[in-house]
Amino acid sequence: MTDRVDALVVGGGSTGCGIARDLAMRGLSVALVEQGNLTHGTTGRMHGLLHSGGRYAVSDQASARECIEENRVLREIASHCVEMTGGLFVQLEDDPDEYFEEKLAGCRECDIPAEVLTAEEAREREPYLTGDVKRAIAVPDGAVDPFRLCVANAADAAEHGARIETHAKVTDVLVEDGEVAGVEVEHESGPGKRNHSLPGTTEEIRADHVINATGAWAGRVGKMAGVDVEVRPSKGVMVIMNVRQVDTVVNRCRKKGDADIIVPHETTAILGTTDVEVEDPEDYPEERWEVDMMIETLSELVPILDDARTIRSFWGVRPLYEPPGTGTTDPTDITRDFFLLDHEDRDSLPGMTSIVGGKFTTYRMMAEKISDHVCAKLGVSAECRTAEEPLPGSEDFSVLRDYMDEFGLRSPIGRRSVQRLGSRADDVLETTDPNPTVCDCEAVTRAEIQDAIDGSGSDLNAVRIRTRASMGNCQGGFCCHRMANELHPRYDEPTVSEAWDELVQERWKGERHALWGEGLSQAALNYQLHATTMSLDRTPEIADFGAFDSGVETATDGGERTTGSRSSSGPRSDGGRTERGRDGD
Amino acid sequence: MSDAETSDEFKPVEVFPDSESMDLRGGADDCYKCSTCDSECPVAAVDDDFPGPKFQGPEQWRLKRKEDTEIDDSVMSCSNCMRCDSACPSGVPLSQMHNTARGSFVENGMDKLSREYIRNRILSNYGTLAWFGSKVPRLANAVMSSSVVQTVNEKFMGITAEREFPEFAQQTFREWWSERGGAEIESDEKRVAYFHGCYSNYNTPEVGKAMVRVFESFGYEVMVPPQKCSGTPMFANGMLSDARRAAETNVAELSAAIEDGADVIASCTSCSLSLRQEYPELFDLERIEDVSAHTYEALEYLRIHEDLSGALDESEIEPERYAYHAPCHARNQGLAGQAIELLDGVEGAEAEDVGDSCSGISGTYGWKEEKYDTSMKIGAEMFHHMEEAEPDAGMTECPTCAMQMEHGTGYEVRHPLQVIEDALVS
Amino acid sequence: MAIESDVLVIGGGLAGATAAIEAARGGASVRLVAHKENTLRNASGLIDVLGYNGGDEPLVEPFEAIADLPDEHPYRKVGVEAVRESLALFDEIAGDLYEGGHTETNALSPTYGGRVKPTGRYPKSAAAGLASRTEDTLLVGFEIVTSFDAPLAAERLDSSVPFDVRGVTIRFPGEFRADARITRLATALDADELRDREQRLGTREALAARVAEYLGDAERVGFPALLGDDEHQAVREALETELGVPVFEVPMGPPSLPGMRLEDRLYEELDAEGVRVESGNPVVGYTADDGRITAVSVDRGRREVPYHAEQFVLATGGLVGKGIDSSREGVSEPVFDCHVPQPEERYEWFHDRVFDDQPYARFGVSVDDGLRPLDSSGEPEFSNLRAAGAVLGGYDMAREKSASGVSLSTGLVAGQRANEDLQ
Repeated sequence: MTDRVDALVVGGGSTGCGIARDLAMRGLSVALVEQGNLTHGTTGRMHGLLHSGGRYAVSDQASARECIEENRVLREIASHCVEMTGGLFVQLEDDPDEYFEEKLAGCRECDIPAEVLTAEEAREREPYLTGDVKRAIAVPDGAVDPFRLCVANAADAAEHGARIETHAKVTDVLVEDGEVAGVEVEHESGPGKRNHSLPGTTEEIRADHVINATGAWAGRVGKMAGVDVEVRPSKGVMVIMNVRQVDTVVNRCRKKGDADIIVPHETTAILGTTDVEVEDPEDYPEERWEVDMMIETLSELVPILDDARTIRSFWGVRPLYEPPGTGTTDPTDITRDFFLLDHEDRDSLPGMTSIVGGKFTTYRMMAEKISDHVCAKLGVSAECRTAEEPLPGSEDFSVLRDYMDEFGLRSPIGRRSVQRLGSRADDVLETTDPNPTVCDCEAVTRAEIQDAIDGSGSDLNAVRIRTRASMGNCQGGFCCHRMANELHPRYDEPTVSEAWDELVQERWKGERHALWGEGLSQAALNYQLHATTMSLDRTPEIADFGAFDSGVETATDGGERTTGSRSSSGPRSDGGRTERGRDGD
Repeated sequence: MSDAETSDEFKPVEVFPDSESMDLRGGADDCYKCSTCDSECPVAAVDDDFPGPKFQGPEQWRLKRKEDTEIDDSVMSCSNCMRCDSACPSGVPLSQMHNTARGSFVENGMDKLSREYIRNRILSNYGTLAWFGSKVPRLANAVMSSSVVQTVNEKFMGITAEREFPEFAQQTFREWWSERGGAEIESDEKRVAYFHGCYSNYNTPEVGKAMVRVFESFGYEVMVPPQKCSGTPMFANGMLSDARRAAETNVAELSAAIEDGADVIASCTSCSLSLRQEYPELFDLERIEDVSAHTYEALEYLRIHEDLSGALDESEIEPERYAYHAPCHARNQGLAGQAIELLDGVEGAEAEDVGDSCSGISGTYGWKEEKYDTSMKIGAEMFHHMEEAEPDAGMTECPTCAMQMEHGTGYEVRHPLQVIEDALVS
Repeated sequence: MAIESDVLVIGGGLAGATAAIEAARGGASVRLVAHKENTLRNASGLIDVLGYNGGDEPLVEPFEAIADLPDEHPYRKVGVEAVRESLALFDEIAGDLYEGGHTETNALSPTYGGRVKPTGRYPKSAAAGLASRTEDTLLVGFEIVTSFDAPLAAERLDSSVPFDVRGVTIRFPGEFRADARITRLATALDADELRDREQRLGTREALAARVAEYLGDAERVGFPALLGDDEHQAVREALETELGVPVFEVPMGPPSLPGMRLEDRLYEELDAEGVRVESGNPVVGYTADDGRITAVSVDRGRREVPYHAEQFVLATGGLVGKGIDSSREGVSEPVFDCHVPQPEERYEWFHDRVFDDQPYARFGVSVDDGLRPLDSSGEPEFSNLRAAGAVLGGYDMAREKSASGVSLSTGLVAGQRANEDLQ
């Protein structure tokens, strides 16, 4: 482990992981530090849309062009993270024709394949669309799993020698002789993989160049270095449906507004979103109106959403940025473009660059540009190869052959496992030991959980985002403890208990926004399971075990005698009948 | 699909490429994983090749994407007893999911020339087989009970040689009905259309006759419309196209009878369940909801519309002790306790419930050579309770359960209608 | 038309069955209608009376603590004597299936999560495992039963109890797929299937042989609760004989074999008391006249059939059993639309930490001392309707560990009162 690197990346979201991979592949020594899990900030809190660019084709054509370009790249290098669902911009009877025409023209101008569908054709593709559909534009939108993508980038960076530290919060930016020289981090449980029971440590990591890729948190890191980075965080809600009501990304074809997109995401569908500027990216209100609005407004597009089960809601914070002086008041009008802030030029502080703004779909392009910039600063001339080299898991897709027989799994479980693992399926799933399913809802087997633990230590939330275990309709009610069980005996009981509690609390955080109907029944059942049957809701304080009932003894005369257990003797066996301990008096 | 569907019930639509299957993913919304269905599944308890209804139903459906059509082959181990339906506290459409998945598996995943497919097709079209048999009942009975034929069946067809083939009646119910000249009572107010099903027609016409006489004793005009198999064995074998064809005839004929003022009555609880529940769940035919809403099991109908218990309270039969088994499909319609309650009132009749386990035969399931042992393991609990009850005879509403009861214990088995006929008519 | 009874009980769980048995014993003709399987098979099979009131210190004497409960608690409505009486009734019905009736103190049972839990009655199959006994313990888990990790549960238990606990994970004897259901393993033990052909061992003996290797000086051995279904007693005795120490089950669920066994016992008793039981169809509505319910409508597949009675008991369960329903607009009781007190704002139904004192956990109808559901003005909704079990509000069964005790005592009182009012 090295505390001296060429480049240090702060932030384990898509951009940070992308930069770490890019630089590591160019041969630089790299470290990445992240305060929580990978994807902890904004990346893990997005709707999973792989933009075709269609959404920006009218308002922001530069972004639209970048999107379609990167869309094509990601299909190649991250095929196991991407599902090419296709997308529709749906015009309802009352939606304006002009906008539809503008959208179509915009797509064509930006080289985004776009096809006009009649109402019938649109509803043939997506039968649950409302009968009020007038027509639709089909574009190559897709769905992408941001967790898997981020983890794959980090894994590949590590493969190329990068040091990846999660749960390592930057507590200071080291400025020496007017130059950034590295950062001080606080390891929550020591460096390396997370292990809840290890004590925290502090470390200085020195670097020739520090990259602040902390998105909505960029201002905080900037401040530690003494520079102003004015990010304008804007929150948006996402509501997760239990099943996929649509298999295509469905956008409402009208001017940008709240609640206008449904993204099929793995086994679920995600409804989004709102756009409200907030003060603090870590502390903002999560409000009922936002959840209700998603369901009410989007059921105009897909009516069954109104009755369908919602399993949770979550909020993400966009790291919007405007060059000083632009003065936009409505966050929806702020550009989605990204900005590279060279603090040497901007603030006369060499040794650090910040990246702000931007969007998930173009993370790789952003990473490439910033890596070019860093390489130029450090005098390295290596080429970027991230657009050509597939990510781990996406190398060889012939694995999608007869997977179910191969691993002895039931076909839907084998299919889902391979969809998640891609070309790693052979490595992960081949085992001679019994491989029971740990998470039934998402079809995650023990072998896959164990593989995730290999990668992320005792952190069950990290296991969750790698595997999707506990992300299905019971929201972990039936599998949080099974996942925790898989940590043992690698980790001791106090560690496992802490990891379990952290996972259960995290699940509840989103579940409480879906507490009605089946969601409330599920919560009540989960609560009874956890608090009654397992009684894990508290640690009982028992002063005197002997005060409690310790059973009856079947006396030789057939009568029963009451016993306490204070002075109970050891049991003996007598042909299957047992003699129980009894009180002497 | 109707426009802007906003009713409070999930409506599946055809989504997946093959026309037989519907999108039931939304049915997984109701599942909160309590596993009650699994604990009620008689197959999963004895055969771990079958992973249980929760996996086979809501979990498998939820994991689907649009392009995923393949179904795990374990769905063919489901016996279609439908106990999962009556277990689920949350209204997950389990058997509908199984039926649809099975149809899709047979359509897309099964070799149409395989022995299994051909065997299943023959078994599920029992009515056709029986039609041939009934033309020459003596010959057919002799042939089917010959050990040579049984061996051949097992070796080449995969039909177990352990079971005796059900005997064909010398005169079918329909032959009796036309010889009798049809209904003896005419009434504009009280009219029922009898859905006798294959078995009462070809094998146990005495059940059909009992049904006619009991209803006539309450003043009903009985109609016997043309009909085909209810579809139960076809659903169980994933032969949805066959079932649909039969359903088209049945719905047309029965809805015509309903138009004439009749309600539909079945003496077989699987037939009534099929018309009531599976038809509207699986097929989109005109008037199918109407047929479903007007279909009753025979005793259920009299219990609701007549003072049946009053009449039985005043009746008497020769003392007889019955061991009663409630078919799973009766349980599904809420009819499990009915026969015992009714017979309690009949002087001389003594009926003991032999518990709520499954008989294990589940129609064609127990006929399959590879399922025979499982079928007998499932039935063991019922056999045991029957022996313990020391009855004069067994009793049940379902003809295949009756077959299993006879096979497992040697007792003769009667239909409750026959006992009630003794009490009220003779 | 012809479907009638003196008392109609809606719901077939512990509360409904108790009400029906009690009413039938009082002389009424009783019919019980249940929609689907009840939640007994989801629950552990332990009969909790009252485990906690407030703090983290478990109650030794549950009955003594009842007086300290808030006024709206169902125990306060029925009174402590009714709670005692209902447990006596339970003891009689459960017979040799259960233990714990010899004393008024709580026992401490280990859970499959590895904690101890205060409970009032416990299946005989769990008796040897009580954490309020002191024998050193070996817990045994199975590779494919992912819910119960014996070494982890043992480590957790060991840190809190005054005896040694070890845990081991073994392979269940025989060839089973990794997703074999718990009922499959129970059936294999029931039938004692000959699994190990070479050594000619039955499943029970083969299992004992595997466990014996790890027995050491353990004085009792615990397994997840899957030791047989119908034959559970014989299975346990066989294992005890082979191992030479007491054997117990650690309550599990769902699905819960102890819960299923209890359910069987209750239904035998319903049968013995002449209660007519019908399941499979939901009660979807009612007719009332002058504040009295005259009949309920049972939905029998696209048509409604009236069931007449003089007295009605609502025992349809809580949020889990679907006796209490909810939507984004509010919480309701679906059969009679009885008033359910609730915060108007949905975001006040919960608190932010999962094991906080959750308002939603107390949702249910509020009742008078006769267990009659009250409307929003505090008046009985109907003069001849009583509510029992988890459909009642005002208590948090999980937090205080009181689920079965409330079901039993309110079931008993509802059955008694319904019966009394017939005269």
